[in-house]
Amino acid sequence: MLKYVSRRILYTTILLLIVSLSIFYIFDLIPMDPARLICSKQCTPALVEANRHRLGLDVSVIEQWWRFIVGLFAGRTFGEDGIGQFCSAPALGYSFPRHECVTTIVANAFPFTLSLAVGAFIMWISVGVSLGVLSARKKGKFADRAASVFVLVGTSLPTFISGILILLFIVLKFNLVNPLELGDWHNPFTEPIGWLNTFFFPCATLALAYAATYTRFTRSNVIETSSEDYIRTARAKGLTERVILRKHTLRAALAPIVTIAGLDFAGLLGGAVITEGIFGLNGLGKLSIKAVTQTYDLPIIVATTLIASTLVLVANLLVDITYAFIDPRVRAE
Amino acid sequence: MSVMKITARRLIATTSVVAMAASVVLVGGVNSASAATAKPVTGGTLYFYTHASQFPNLDPQRIYTGRDIAFLGSYLMRTLVSYKPVPGKDGASLVADMATNTGVPSNKAKTWKYTLRPGVSWEDGKPVTCADVKYGWSRTFATDVYVEGPAYPLTWLDIPAASDGSSAYKGPYKKTGQALFDKSILCSKDNRTITFNLKRSVPDFNYYLTYLAGGPVPQAKDTADKYDLRPFASGPYMIKKYAIDDEMVLVRNPNWKKSSDPIRTPYADDIVVKFGMDEDLRDQITLDDSIPNGINMDGLQPANNIKFFEDPKNANRRMNNYDPYTSYLAANNSVGRLDCLDVRKAIFFAYDNQSLINLSGGLKYYGEMGDSPVKPVIGMDYAPTKGNIHDPNFKIGGNPEYAKELLAKAKVSCPEAYDRATNPAKGLVYYRPDTAGNKKSAVLVEAALKKAGFVINTIYKPSGTYNANLETYKNETDLFGSGWGADWANASTVIPELWGDGCCNYTKNKKTPEYAAFIAKVNLALVELDRKKQAKMWQELAQYGMDQYWYIRTVFGKSQQTWGSKIGGVYYWEPQGSFGFGQLYVKQ
Repeated sequence: MLKYVSRRILYTTILLLIVSLSIFYIFDLIPMDPARLICSKQCTPALVEANRHRLGLDVSVIEQWWRFIVGLFAGRTFGEDGIGQFCSAPALGYSFPRHECVTTIVANAFPFTLSLAVGAFIMWISVGVSLGVLSARKKGKFADRAASVFVLVGTSLPTFISGILILLFIVLKFNLVNPLELGDWHNPFTEPIGWLNTFFFPCATLALAYAATYTRFTRSNVIETSSEDYIRTARAKGLTERVILRKHTLRAALAPIVTIAGLDFAGLLGGAVITEGIFGLNGLGKLSIKAVTQTYDLPIIVATTLIASTLVLVANLLVDITYAFIDPRVRAE
Repeated sequence: MSVMKITARRLIATTSVVAMAASVVLVGGVNSASAATAKPVTGGTLYFYTHASQFPNLDPQRIYTGRDIAFLGSYLMRTLVSYKPVPGKDGASLVADMATNTGVPSNKAKTWKYTLRPGVSWEDGKPVTCADVKYGWSRTFATDVYVEGPAYPLTWLDIPAASDGSSAYKGPYKKTGQALFDKSILCSKDNRTITFNLKRSVPDFNYYLTYLAGGPVPQAKDTADKYDLRPFASGPYMIKKYAIDDEMVLVRNPNWKKSSDPIRTPYADDIVVKFGMDEDLRDQITLDDSIPNGINMDGLQPANNIKFFEDPKNANRRMNNYDPYTSYLAANNSVGRLDCLDVRKAIFFAYDNQSLINLSGGLKYYGEMGDSPVKPVIGMDYAPTKGNIHDPNFKIGGNPEYAKELLAKAKVSCPEAYDRATNPAKGLVYYRPDTAGNKKSAVLVEAALKKAGFVINTIYKPSGTYNANLETYKNETDLFGSGWGADWANASTVIPELWGDGCCNYTKNKKTPEYAAFIAKVNLALVELDRKKQAKMWQELAQYGMDQYWYIRTVFGKSQQTWGSKIGGVYYWEPQGSFGFGQLYVKQ
């Protein structure tokens, strides 16, 4: 088992190195010049070059990447000698438009994204699974049809529409949140009401789309499992429907859902760009989109992309390891 | 700066450019003068909200946009000289701020002297000194750190150039050439009088001092790159909080004294700027007036803008003004390109300006046809030119018949240029950034020119690297679209920059027979000490360039501002092209 886990960790590490290098190459290919972008209208070619040097873009892509990797473990000074800015390890870069180490910026943004992801996850799992089970048990009846309508609405409404509708026609219309306080950070442990005030509607927006999918998925899994022979046997033994559902059907039906939920959750930790933007949450998604559209802040773009891909890879790793525990045949492969 | 309009606005908002002007025309909305004269009230919180994540810069040596100079100069940072904070033409006149007067020139305006008022101080109570002003100026020379701000001191101060053409002084961090810099700016023994020694006469030197970049920075508080997050205040407010993507909170500066500041009136108790607001939410707040003591720092999205401005109930919460910017289409006058006046004129008369302006928001909100690179808002340096849009043959939707006549004339006067413009195997070349907006407008341009008999090849270049490749592109394209806003109320920051030796001459006119006489007069105008005479020279030079059709078209842009119902003291500060922030107050 240890050998299997070590091998998986090694593969993931190699994959991360490849992904990070690819990110540097991809951004090098994008026709955008950060050195020119922040230069004044009286800019000269010499000033652009000086700026490129300051931003660390005057060396090859591979060297830029290597400096990045070294900075992750040893910290790094960005900018001119003497007046440069030092970022301690793990140094993800330095944002010149924000005048801050990227690691600090990311660390500040992460609680927003984590709160959103956790809140949304709880909502969509509880609503999606409950509705799915209900729908399966009441197959063809009113509850099932009502759930189908919910699924239809949830899946057909993109987040940028549902988010805006919730914000403008519920939150603002009924003065549920002061627009000037929208997106303010509150510690969930010391200020739970404030935290709920900030995160309830964004979580609901995000959960709406996911819950619809999970309702459908749970419904079909439960229906499929219910027709298995061992369920028929349980029913023949005289067990109540409640017991059969709890002890037999759900246990089998939910296993694949848990796996997918884990991956979805990991994906969300990389940032929910649209929801964060609409509700003014300064999470990783909003951070990255602003870095692309407003400041073309390359270190932030690289860092957030890398974090998102790392989270997905780590989630995959955890799933693989979990499977190895569950199914010994996987280890043997 | 701006390139066609959508691009232009974004560029103007996010990068450089600055405002100026004098006689702005109020296009619609409130009578700003009367609004400003209503009795102001002290107290309350002024809210500003914006989609932007942050101010582009807070470091005075990095700031270049009129709105930011107006905002930060009204609240946080003082300068030696300022524009008068009043609506209308008077707003472009200079008043002494930290200094006792607007400057005493001597030696044919090669030397300028200022004395600091007694009592001007920093937020820690220490007096602002000549050394602080000198240190602020020195930072502009650190081009390894500061590249965003105006660079006039690099060429003005009497400091020799290094072998590569850059200044021999490299700023206060490297200190290379420090002795040379020390000779160019002198401080008196009492550290209150400052003398600037310049390489050449600069009659409008004092206008530059309205820039925060010409103001003081205390060396002890300089944190180089990070000064952009927390500049030290000399104005009536100081920074309590500045969190990018979140908010800025300004509170009263306890060490600011009204007795030392003749122009600022800090009414609100505190000022909050909310950053990163979703654009739909921002617009809805303005439409619903849900933050009555709030001011929208951005423009509304086009559909919401029309909705808001067409609704009479919002009449007291909006302004529609000419902004400080002129969009233009430059003709490449070099040999083998548009080196024929008749061809250039034919393009001018063929253009369908009406459709292009409609595409960008219409005459009411986007802008109107201009007749000069100098905009009326600049004041005395503008005079309507003759010809061009005032020519009886000019039609805003294009006049292909007259353009054909001009082309027929060109066939005789300059057959080679005619052939290039009309031969299907050749044709005019028009480089444009590859954006959706440009692709739409290109259809209109091509249709109009084809109607007149032109052959035009639109070539799209990657938008991200477009500006970085301007030096190459400007040689290869026949037409080049961009924009400009004067740095201050003098055409010295327009005509030499756009048609002379300045940064952004895309007309390639320097080898034309007409250029020698033009630049000789430009150089005379630049050092002319008689302001009225100088203004007349600029007017004549604008006419001269327009007669050459160095620019195919100019558009005088407009901008709209909106605010909540509890905001008082609103007016358009013409020289900065923005609110007069210092007079805003919260109605009780």
